Amino acid sequence: MANDRNSERRPDPDALLALAGKGRRGRLLVFLGAAPGVGKTYAMLQRAKLLRQEGVDVVVGLVETHSRAETEALTQGLEILPRRVTRWRDRDIEEFDLDAALRRHPKLIIVDELAHTNAPDSRHPKRWQDVEELLDARIDVWTALNIQHLDSLADIVSRIAGVTVRETVPDTVLRDADDIVLVDLTSEELIQRLKDGKVYLPETARLAQQKFFTLRNLTALREIALRRAAARVDDQMVEQLRQSAIEGPWETAERLLVCVGPDALSLSVVRAASRLATGLNASWVAATVDKPSGEAGSASDAAADAALRLAQTLGAETTRLVGHDLPEEILRYAQRENITQIVVGRSRAGFFSRLLGRSLSEALARRASLIGVHIVTGDKPREAPQIGPLARLLDRSLPIGALAAAASVAVMVGLGEALDAWLRLPNLSMIFLIAVVVCAARFGVRSAILAAVLSFLAYDFFFVPPLYQFTIAQPQEFFALTIFLMVASLVGWLAGRGRDQERLAREHAQATRSLFEFSRKLSGAVALADILDTATVHAQRTLEAESVVMLLPEEGELALSAAWPPVDALNAGESSAARWAFDKSEPSGWRTGTLPNVRFQFRPLVTSRGVVGVCGFAPANREAAISPTLEHALNLILEQTAIAADRALLVKDSVRTVALEENEKLRSTLLASLSHDLRTPLATITGAVTTLRKFGEGMSAQQRDDLLASIEEEGDRLTRFIANLLDMSRIEAGALRPQRDLVDVAETVRAAIERAAKAFPTSPIVASLAQGLPYARGDANLIEQVLFNLLDNAQKYGDGGRVTVHARPEGANVLISVTDEGPGIKSADLERIFEKFYRGGRPDGRRAGTGLGLSISRGLIEAMGGRIWAESPAIKRRGTRIVIAMPAVAADELAKAAS
Amino acid sequence: MTGQRILIVDDEPQILRFLRPALEASGYVVTHASAAHEALRAIANTAPDLVLLDLGLPDMDGKSVIEQARQFTRVPIVVLSARDREAEKIAALDLGADDYVEKPFAIGELLARLRAALRHAKSSAAAMTRIEVDGLTIDAERRLVARDGAPIKLTPREYDLLTALAGNPGRVMTHGQILTAVWGPAHKNDTQYLRVFIGQLRNKIERDPGRPVLIRTESGVGYRFAEIG
Repeated sequence: MANDRNSERRPDPDALLALAGKGRRGRLLVFLGAAPGVGKTYAMLQRAKLLRQEGVDVVVGLVETHSRAETEALTQGLEILPRRVTRWRDRDIEEFDLDAALRRHPKLIIVDELAHTNAPDSRHPKRWQDVEELLDARIDVWTALNIQHLDSLADIVSRIAGVTVRETVPDTVLRDADDIVLVDLTSEELIQRLKDGKVYLPETARLAQQKFFTLRNLTALREIALRRAAARVDDQMVEQLRQSAIEGPWETAERLLVCVGPDALSLSVVRAASRLATGLNASWVAATVDKPSGEAGSASDAAADAALRLAQTLGAETTRLVGHDLPEEILRYAQRENITQIVVGRSRAGFFSRLLGRSLSEALARRASLIGVHIVTGDKPREAPQIGPLARLLDRSLPIGALAAAASVAVMVGLGEALDAWLRLPNLSMIFLIAVVVCAARFGVRSAILAAVLSFLAYDFFFVPPLYQFTIAQPQEFFALTIFLMVASLVGWLAGRGRDQERLAREHAQATRSLFEFSRKLSGAVALADILDTATVHAQRTLEAESVVMLLPEEGELALSAAWPPVDALNAGESSAARWAFDKSEPSGWRTGTLPNVRFQFRPLVTSRGVVGVCGFAPANREAAISPTLEHALNLILEQTAIAADRALLVKDSVRTVALEENEKLRSTLLASLSHDLRTPLATITGAVTTLRKFGEGMSAQQRDDLLASIEEEGDRLTRFIANLLDMSRIEAGALRPQRDLVDVAETVRAAIERAAKAFPTSPIVASLAQGLPYARGDANLIEQVLFNLLDNAQKYGDGGRVTVHARPEGANVLISVTDEGPGIKSADLERIFEKFYRGGRPDGRRAGTGLGLSISRGLIEAMGGRIWAESPAIKRRGTRIVIAMPAVAADELAKAAS
Repeated sequence: MTGQRILIVDDEPQILRFLRPALEASGYVVTHASAAHEALRAIANTAPDLVLLDLGLPDMDGKSVIEQARQFTRVPIVVLSARDREAEKIAALDLGADDYVEKPFAIGELLARLRAALRHAKSSAAAMTRIEVDGLTIDAERRLVARDGAPIKLTPREYDLLTALAGNPGRVMTHGQILTAVWGPAHKNDTQYLRVFIGQLRNKIERDPGRPVLIRTESGVGYRFAEIG
């Protein structure tokens, strides 16, 4: 059968997936022992040494040799990672340096004592979490573990050996280990080694030594360790069978459901279920049932949460069911999920169940069909002191509810006495119902019940003969009083419940409104900063957190993008927790497995595109648990924020893409116009020359002359254009070295006007120069060229109007301006006209200029230490004025220069 | 000479400054438009014999002038374009321009192109029966091709290709136009076919296939058959 491979017997895909998952991680080898001193470290080092000799990259991450010579000798020749020294309560503690190990990244690392609890400032509270991270980083790990530290065995061990095990490792770590090496020693040998002083035990444990290292204990522990290792080999075989698709009787159809509640017994129930599941090789689910109207965040919730968390670390799935009828919900779930066995603790029965004489376990056992029910009993009948119903009643609502109950009943007594004196009412008790209903409506069920009881007593005391005694003379009076109490209680209960439900509904409405408000604000916010601010403020208010921060990636780093109340920066621990949440897409910080001492809990902001950022919140009360309601609210906030942030980022991306596209379009337009600018003069020259050659003889002298003139003009145009391009590249290359001479501004302006008048004889240019203009510092040739460029532009865009040149001193500067009478420039374009290749449209729609003149002018002027800018409109809502400001030379400096 | 009317469409006055005397000296009557709308109006109203069109116009892309003009006239259009803008040239030709001239150009070259375009416009109506150019004769009625009197064996496809090209002497044909004419519209983009067949054809009909005279390559655009006469 084993060799029979038809298409129906394919390898189990899940098994193959698990195998593939193993390929991506490092391999974990656990050296498992029954007790300290069996020689796990020794065995580990011995093997490592062999590997080292074979050339494998082995590093000792951390090994406790306890100064034993034979163990220490083994570490010789092995690379040992330095430990991280940290101070805790005035003591130096040496810890395993996880970061150093990740940096070193060996093929194989040895990390002793898997169950160790790390120093408080470490990244993870437990060493096995360090090991997980090493495995994630594809580093193989060898580690050592004593069987007593296994989570599911902690109960048994403490029962067997009478010691409490505090350092535990989840069973999943051992289950997921790639292999186990059982380091075994007979109990007698171990005790002998102990007597020889070969086993190191810390001082504190020395007392426990006698108690712990007895033959009986060690044998029991050894048996557990051997059984675990054997079960493990079994598992491996089954796994292999499944991978190679060999059919076998390995399929276990068992599926366990463990029910946990808010009682202290739940933890033990979970452990028992875990052992049972392991023994049956079955998958298991831990479930708790919430009442739909249950008050969230109460202490009982936290206890159930703790049990569920434990179940999760022991390898269970967890779920929360909602319903009134506990056994009904549990059985329905069991049916749906093909549960074969239910594990339940013998629970403290609820009020009504006890009334009916039926606990959950009994109800389950009675109603379940074809499902095994295991009942786990606690050590002691009742662990926590039971609070009496009345005490609890008072405890909860004493401050206001109870006072109100007492006060309202007192008022009714007064009213009753008054009425009694006035007119004899047969049913005075009715007025006490007012007190009950008022208390119910104002302060809820508890207050109402109290009011009912007080009313009962007060009525008996004040109005039922014999008066002013708590005794009742007539039997029918007693009957009436009892009816009254029942009616009052019922009315109070109903009214109070109505009020409670209304409050709940109001809270829900409030929450919904708040959420609606939040999403509305978010959808209104377009900018990323607005979204984050909105989300941060909302989260802080909703979670009643001390502080909320949002971090987004920025150039590879996580940057603090929003905080409420404002925070300038996160400290190192907070930053690395945030980084962790971002990288691993898992919660980190407060109440998580990673850096739990950090003030904040960080949650990743996840969208379909991946993690966009991290949200961190610091709880106002570090001791409180996160209630399901709060968790729900938090998730909603995270979701909404992530989506909104993602949207904003997408918009940003698309804006960037559009900008890039426009840039691309601009470049190609520039290239086209550049090519046009160079080619048109060349085409004219070539065309004119060839025309002259071919037809010159037949042309009139005037025609010939015109063609020659056009050749000359186009030659000039080409020269100017090329000079402009060269200037531009010189300015851009920073190769321009202008003179810093004294410049006679008036003379330079006149020279430029003269040149322009020659070039554009049709445009009238008017100069208006102030008397006694100071000298400017600069390069006269360059200033003249700039002015010529400006005059050129002015005649091009000036609509044929007058062009005016002004020059006057202002402060430490000389201002020179060129003004035209054209249509002017839109204020948005006033800066753009100085950009390279920018060209204004001409009124006749024809292209003008090269788009270089102004940008060259700005380059030249700024190289000389001056400034140039544009103003529009210049005169009467028309025209453009370009102003140059050059530094003026002070009179005394001028005198010095002259002498 | 002929008195044929040529409409120059160009926004650069400098170009007109030499074109006008040169064309007038060659016997053409010159009219001018400096923008697209003006040009379309002039084509519609004055029915010139040929349009010389600069593609870079201020108000509209020169190519859309061709497109719109082709909706109502078959007037030959010769395009002025830059050497580095093959895509633009091809687009213009495919839209119905008859030829193009690269800027800068010598006036002789331009005049030759204008002549070819004008002649083609006249002759296209008359069926081509016999072509003789540079010692090569094509007898369309008998489907015979000969070089210096010696018959040349051509495959049917080669013959179709040759007549497609020779039917437009002196005019450029784009790859797409040739492929559509010879292989059909489905093969409009199979330029590599064309290269192979042109090579074979040149080997058979050219005197020196290394330096072709009859079928000249217009790089990146298409092929041009030698001018007859």
